[in-house]
Amino acid sequence: MKSKSSKKNKLSRRSFLKCTGTIVFVMGSTSYLLNGCRGKKGESEMAVSDGYLVVDVEKCQGCLTCMLACSLVHEGVQNPSLSRIQILQDSFGKFPEDLSIEQCRQCEAPECVEACPENALTANTEFGNVRMVDKEKCTGCGSCFEACPYTPARLSVMEDSAFNNELKSRKCDLCANTPHHWEKKGGGPGGKQACVEVCPVGAIAFTQKLPIQEGMSGYKVNLRDKNWTKLGYLNG
Amino acid sequence: MNGYAGKILSINLSIRRITTIPTKKYEQWVGGHGMGSALFFDMVKDKTIDGFNPENVITLMSSPLCGTLVPSGAARTEIQGIGVQSLPIGWFTRSNFGGRFSSMLKYAGWDGIAIQGQADSRVWIDIRNDEVKIRECNDLNLWGTDTWECQKAIWKDVTGEGTYGDWIKINEKGDMTTQRPAVLAIGPAGENLSRMACLIHDAGNGAGQGGFGAVFGKKGLKAISVIGTGSIHVNDPKGLMISRLWLKKKYSFNLKNLKIKDFTMGFQSPPVPMALYSGGKPRIGQRPQACVGCTAGCRGRYEDGIGNEAICFNSIFYLFGKTLLIQRQAADLLNRYGLNAAEMFVGELYLKKLRDRGFIGKGKAIDCPLDFKQYGELSYAEQLIKAISYRNDGKGDPHPFGDILAEGFVRAAEKWGRLEGKDSDLKTGLLRFPHWGLPVHKLERSQLDWGYGTILSDRDINEHCFDMLRAFPTYLKLLDRRLPPAEVIVQGITNKMEPFQGDKKMLDFSTENMYSEHIIKLVTWHRHYTRFWKQSAQLCDFRWPDFLNLYGPNKFGATGIAEQRFFNDVTGKGFSFLDGINLGKKIWNLDNAIWILQGRHRDMVRFADYIYTNPGKTSSGYPEYMPGIKNGKWDYVVTSGRHFDEDKFEDFKTRFYRFQGWDEKTGCPTRKTLESLALEHVADELEKNGKM
Repeated sequence: MKSKSSKKNKLSRRSFLKCTGTIVFVMGSTSYLLNGCRGKKGESEMAVSDGYLVVDVEKCQGCLTCMLACSLVHEGVQNPSLSRIQILQDSFGKFPEDLSIEQCRQCEAPECVEACPENALTANTEFGNVRMVDKEKCTGCGSCFEACPYTPARLSVMEDSAFNNELKSRKCDLCANTPHHWEKKGGGPGGKQACVEVCPVGAIAFTQKLPIQEGMSGYKVNLRDKNWTKLGYLNG
Repeated sequence: MNGYAGKILSINLSIRRITTIPTKKYEQWVGGHGMGSALFFDMVKDKTIDGFNPENVITLMSSPLCGTLVPSGAARTEIQGIGVQSLPIGWFTRSNFGGRFSSMLKYAGWDGIAIQGQADSRVWIDIRNDEVKIRECNDLNLWGTDTWECQKAIWKDVTGEGTYGDWIKINEKGDMTTQRPAVLAIGPAGENLSRMACLIHDAGNGAGQGGFGAVFGKKGLKAISVIGTGSIHVNDPKGLMISRLWLKKKYSFNLKNLKIKDFTMGFQSPPVPMALYSGGKPRIGQRPQACVGCTAGCRGRYEDGIGNEAICFNSIFYLFGKTLLIQRQAADLLNRYGLNAAEMFVGELYLKKLRDRGFIGKGKAIDCPLDFKQYGELSYAEQLIKAISYRNDGKGDPHPFGDILAEGFVRAAEKWGRLEGKDSDLKTGLLRFPHWGLPVHKLERSQLDWGYGTILSDRDINEHCFDMLRAFPTYLKLLDRRLPPAEVIVQGITNKMEPFQGDKKMLDFSTENMYSEHIIKLVTWHRHYTRFWKQSAQLCDFRWPDFLNLYGPNKFGATGIAEQRFFNDVTGKGFSFLDGINLGKKIWNLDNAIWILQGRHRDMVRFADYIYTNPGKTSSGYPEYMPGIKNGKWDYVVTSGRHFDEDKFEDFKTRFYRFQGWDEKTGCPTRKTLESLALEHVADELEKNGKM
């Protein structure tokens, strides 16, 4: 994988200002929020994705099953490094900081898309505008990886055996491009996502609703219920 | 080779040589235990050596299923070699641990590791994909650290200039991961060669049995670290995903429809930490924590970071710790110093009994530096753990007590003169170490599969396959709850037990049936199932076999259907369930041949004296119930409170050996049996050594 020279720990300053400069005057208007915060590519607006993954970090049991399912349906192999969703954990850590789930946010204003010099990363209209890599066009330059404002980057750039081991970018497409999808219909925003379906505890969910873009609260949510509490856990 | 990385790492520490063995050479054994036994057989020419001999080979094996989407079958590592814990000699034995090690090993490109020799300095092994180095402990000051400090130091070294929480570059080539290396380490107990020393990975994955921590220590090997970024190919990716979702939908717990809230066996069990503290479960912020690919984590991580991933024996070690917090802290100390929790638990209670009877203490018959006034406080547990780990008084000063006890409780009792005469602690049962000098687990006179399985092999089998047949009736009787008809249960389970399917009396645990041909078949099936499906394919002991399942059709589980389905999705080998059982038979025969080559004779296969005289009592005082025929009808019968009859057990052994196709007089597998299993070379070796 192409190494990333520096990373920003939070939402990028550019993105943050772009959003908040608008939001201050919005007074809760969702439609305005969506329009005002919408990412741009050149002068044209980018449609928001039809779907998003949200996760419950406190419910996750750290089994990495989501990562195994992700690499399996996309690549036909088992390899956590090729997973589009990443579970990071410290066995010695204190709950809940001992673990984090880092999934692509399908950003409203995706900097990775903006950064791609080959137009290989786009809002794919065929699959509900999910932010998606066209590997035929991707040159593996790593611009998208550098541009992602989150840590760890929600993309990876690694060798791809399907392309003669050339470097290719990979990111979450909500299982739109999954040669090994288990259903004929396949995935994407209109289909099923491997990580959501396979998670033993229901710590990952799919939503069509655009999450709050600032910070983490829109993407890291509470998916626990009373039955979870019955098992001896917090229900938030 | 779908499911395989394709090569096995072979390291000779004496000459610091790193070589590669093609996995293909051992593929007929599939993986795990079978592959480990075969490697050991080939690599160790003289099987009579002691576990501390440099020529002893330790194998750490994955399986084709490790690192894949197979439910509760992706995470175990099987470790084998000549152990140093058991008596009368250290048998060729096995241990096993979960977590992330075997999966990471495969992502790094290795199906297993074989370690031979003894380093002339203290070292650790650093595996980063294909790059393997034997590195000096001095560079990171690892020798002298506890197991947790050691792992953290290695994590820091491997990450280099990177930061966990981000993508990490693991080598010059630029291979990347977000994961921490999987490290297996020994603590001070292993460094100082305690025969109770274990291996610890992450906070609480322990390979406890066998004393492999001490074997590592003798080899000068502090730790093995592995980080990998490669891919494992599977035969049918789509099929594997479909199978996983099938098992989830049809057999796994449903959070919206909980049928069990606090049980941790089988796929019906939700993720609940099996923390068995006598002080209860921690009522603080926590999550379940699971091994790679598991359906339901059986450990927890807590908001105070204490007792992370501690379960089972680890969590009950300090039974009389005054508070839950002290018990949790004591569990952590065991893991950090790297001591076998089972022996420490049973042994600590033995010390307590000796103290209560006035045999042990300062200036007593057994001179002991432990401060018994602090019993129940953390300081007592800490002193005991340190005394054993450093072979001293537990406070830093020399004392024979720790040195003697580090050899294990039975050896210590012998040294203290407690095993002499008619009042021997192994005759009275004061020392509850009923087999091979190892501690009691389940009540062997009650749970016959467990008791016979243990004495006919080499260690506490720790295989919970039929444990539900004791646990459910025992607890439901205690709660005065209704039980399903015993006959229906045993019919459903035995229907799955190929090739002996349908013989219900295999699960008749009544006293009248305890030496029968049916029980011989039960023990045989159990040896074969576990040798392959659990220890070679490496399905987790807590989830497999899935016999009884409240979500399954007619409340029966996925066993007999699911094992081969997942195995074939990954490997494409076209195995049947029975193929696995038959390969388990072959592996079981190879193991027995190795024990014979080590010097085993049927006369050594004997329980401690008290097992033949004392009624088996539960520690709770309540009776145990298991299925059995009573007055001609199936019921749940009391199985505790009885003892084995030695003559009947000897006769049982004779018939058991006959059923295996072994020499009834010696217990040695015959040439005919070995040749029928394509083990001619093993028969030749036995003959060469005068064993046939």
